[in-house]
Amino acid sequence: MTTLPPLPMIRPKLTALARQKLPCSSRKISKSQLIKEKDDIDHYLEVNFKGLSKEEVAAYRNSYKKNVCVDMLRDGYHKSFTELFALMEQWDALREAARVRSLFWPQKPLEDQPDKLDHFYHYLTRAEYAERKGSFEDVYNNLYALACYFNNSEDKWVRNHFYKRCFKIAQLIKIDSGKKEAEAHMHMGLLYEEDGQLLEAAEHYEAFHQLTQGRIWKDETGHFLNFLACESLLRTYRLLSDKMLENKEYKQAIKILIKASEIAKEGGDKKMEGEACYYLGLAHLAAEEYDLALTVLDTYCKISTDLGDDLSLGRAYEAIAKVLQSQGEMTEAIKYLEKVVKIARNNFQSLDFVRASTMLGDIYNQKGHYKKASECFQQAFDTALELMSMPLMDETEVHYGIAKAHQMMLTVNNYIESADLTSLNSLLSWKERRGDIESDPVTDLGVQVQFCYMDILCSSKVWAFSVVYLSSK
Amino acid sequence: MNVIYPLAVPKGRRLCCEVCEAPAERVCAACTVTYYCGVVHQKADWDSIHEKICQLLIPLRTSMPFYNSEEERQHGLQQLQQRQKYLIEFCYTVAQKYLFEGKHEDAVPAALHSLRFRVNLYGLSSVELVPAYLLLAEASLGLGRINQAEEYLFQAQWTVLKSTDCSHATHSLLHRNLGLLYIAKKNYKEARYHLANDIYFASCAFGTKDIRTSGGYFHLANIFYDLKKLDLADTLYTKVSEIWDAYLNNHYQVLSQTHTQQMDLLGKLFENDTGLDEAQEAEAIRILTSILKIRESTADKAPQKTIFVLKILVMLYYLMMNSSKAQEYGMRALNLAKEQQLDVHEQSTIQELLSLVSTEDHPIT
Repeated sequence: MTTLPPLPMIRPKLTALARQKLPCSSRKISKSQLIKEKDDIDHYLEVNFKGLSKEEVAAYRNSYKKNVCVDMLRDGYHKSFTELFALMEQWDALREAARVRSLFWPQKPLEDQPDKLDHFYHYLTRAEYAERKGSFEDVYNNLYALACYFNNSEDKWVRNHFYKRCFKIAQLIKIDSGKKEAEAHMHMGLLYEEDGQLLEAAEHYEAFHQLTQGRIWKDETGHFLNFLACESLLRTYRLLSDKMLENKEYKQAIKILIKASEIAKEGGDKKMEGEACYYLGLAHLAAEEYDLALTVLDTYCKISTDLGDDLSLGRAYEAIAKVLQSQGEMTEAIKYLEKVVKIARNNFQSLDFVRASTMLGDIYNQKGHYKKASECFQQAFDTALELMSMPLMDETEVHYGIAKAHQMMLTVNNYIESADLTSLNSLLSWKERRGDIESDPVTDLGVQVQFCYMDILCSSKVWAFSVVYLSSK
Repeated sequence: MNVIYPLAVPKGRRLCCEVCEAPAERVCAACTVTYYCGVVHQKADWDSIHEKICQLLIPLRTSMPFYNSEEERQHGLQQLQQRQKYLIEFCYTVAQKYLFEGKHEDAVPAALHSLRFRVNLYGLSSVELVPAYLLLAEASLGLGRINQAEEYLFQAQWTVLKSTDCSHATHSLLHRNLGLLYIAKKNYKEARYHLANDIYFASCAFGTKDIRTSGGYFHLANIFYDLKKLDLADTLYTKVSEIWDAYLNNHYQVLSQTHTQQMDLLGKLFENDTGLDEAQEAEAIRILTSILKIRESTADKAPQKTIFVLKILVMLYYLMMNSSKAQEYGMRALNLAKEQQLDVHEQSTIQELLSLVSTEDHPIT
């Protein structure tokens, strides 16, 4: 008794009772009597000595996981318990699988993460309570909160689990004319999209789009749901069509993209509409339907001009130029590309500028305007130099070298054809110096390419060389 | 020859009653190694377990014969241990059986024997004692001796607490019994705590959807029912019925498949089997019938649920080869379905079940 704190002075009836019975009292009590009045004594001790209660002892002895489970069960939340238990088993199974494949699995076991367990407890029990009361909206909200909580890269699968649950619950909610259902469709779409199952994702997004059509619902961040639906649907369609184009299924890709542009048109967002047109144009180009591609891209042009969006206008022109180039209408293509170059320069879009200049140079090169070609390539090369991007620099350098070499070809040919002493001398001196006849300082690589290219041009193995050179680089 | 005189016993040797450990006045004439304080206890022991193990006790309670070599001695000791182990198991199953049949009085001596042999073999602080304690506690609870049950349970709890390696199944059983004890004492808060523990441990051992977990859910449901939290109790009862339905349906499907296959080949009938031991069968019947009672009291609100339970019962009795009962429950389900004008699909499934049961009753020759 000496270790226990002193008794409070006011002694109720029970205290007196217990005092008599506790072993420190002088009176002898039989064992059976002690057992019989054990409850009284226990109660007395609990009230008067603020030691550990039974629950506190249990909380201390048992794992946190167990405490949470028991807390759920004793209040009758057995569905929450079943769900949590299944999730924990899955968690362990994942850990085990990772261990077997000797992967690094950064997740700690769930027992060591009381925060997460607390969240599970909080929301699951609320959801179950709401379910019992029949208010599915609350169920949805709670489950959604859990999904949001686990919205990080490590716990994706937990989030997905709750998205699926939300989806099921949302279908039972009828009061809000389908807003929750739409949201659930959005989440399911996102889930499948991340998983790479684009067809399923598209299905859910379509449902989402349908449900939000003509509604003015907004999400937490204030975006219109219908707008989000259009956006995600278009994104999925584009990914789908990309995949189809890779597999050369042009017809299907175009079909999907046409659907996408229709949806974009309905969505009312001009930019989105233009975007859809652009991708449709590219698909037509890939399918070699040039006229259709041109009409679609024209629409894109128009939309971009209306919006005053120079960047997309540049993209449109570039695409059109590509189409024209494939059609063989080089002069037209050059016109468009020059526009692109101008736009890119005005907007300081260096990458676009490099790309457009290279394309332009290519066309000039093909047409034999070597001087112009080398000018274009020089511009491209200079810009690439500014950008300090090695691969780009190498590429433009090679192009530049080739164009330069072409340009020099004429002079060299003339010298060879005239076949007099002066020409021979100049040729010889050039060979010694390996410098530029027209003296144009070029960096090492360009010069090197130029000379090699010149040599090889003579033996007309141009293509093989460039391939070898580029790949060795 | 049955009577002995305590005063005539050699000094220092105390003969105790087998049941209550009071000074003995009688001895069993058949084995001469078992003593009793009076006719009542002798009769109780005889009826319960002694008749079955009378002769087996002799080698255990007489001194070992003299062996010539160490080897033989070891062998003799081993044999003795094996005998004890056998007796432990035997007494345990006998006691369990009595409990399921509701003969709590008869179960006590058998369970005591099991406990005593366990103490001999494993020592006082072994986890092996726990099952025997639990049996005794259950028997005491059945007899309404709550204090005694509590004592046994605390003994068991203490043993478990001290041991480090105790299986989840044992934990679960212990907590279930503690839960039942507190239900009997009307201390629902404690009872809920222990039953929650029971469900947790059972889930760890067998999974959340196992029939061995269903018992915990059932008792928990009963508590909530008593506390008038009807919606809660309702979901729990549904859970229990679903567990049993899934289990029995599974067995039933497998069985009916083999039935149809084998009937063609051999034209002979198969023995049905629930895949449960007697204890579990008794538990199933007890649980399902009490759920049925509760469902019937609210049948006008949700006849679906009543029919669901009735169907499970039909399956259970069918698998237990008790076709008359199965038929009775089947008819009740059918009548109810007709009364409430449930959909045709429901009625047809019941009809199907019934026809299967009746063919079982009068096998086609």
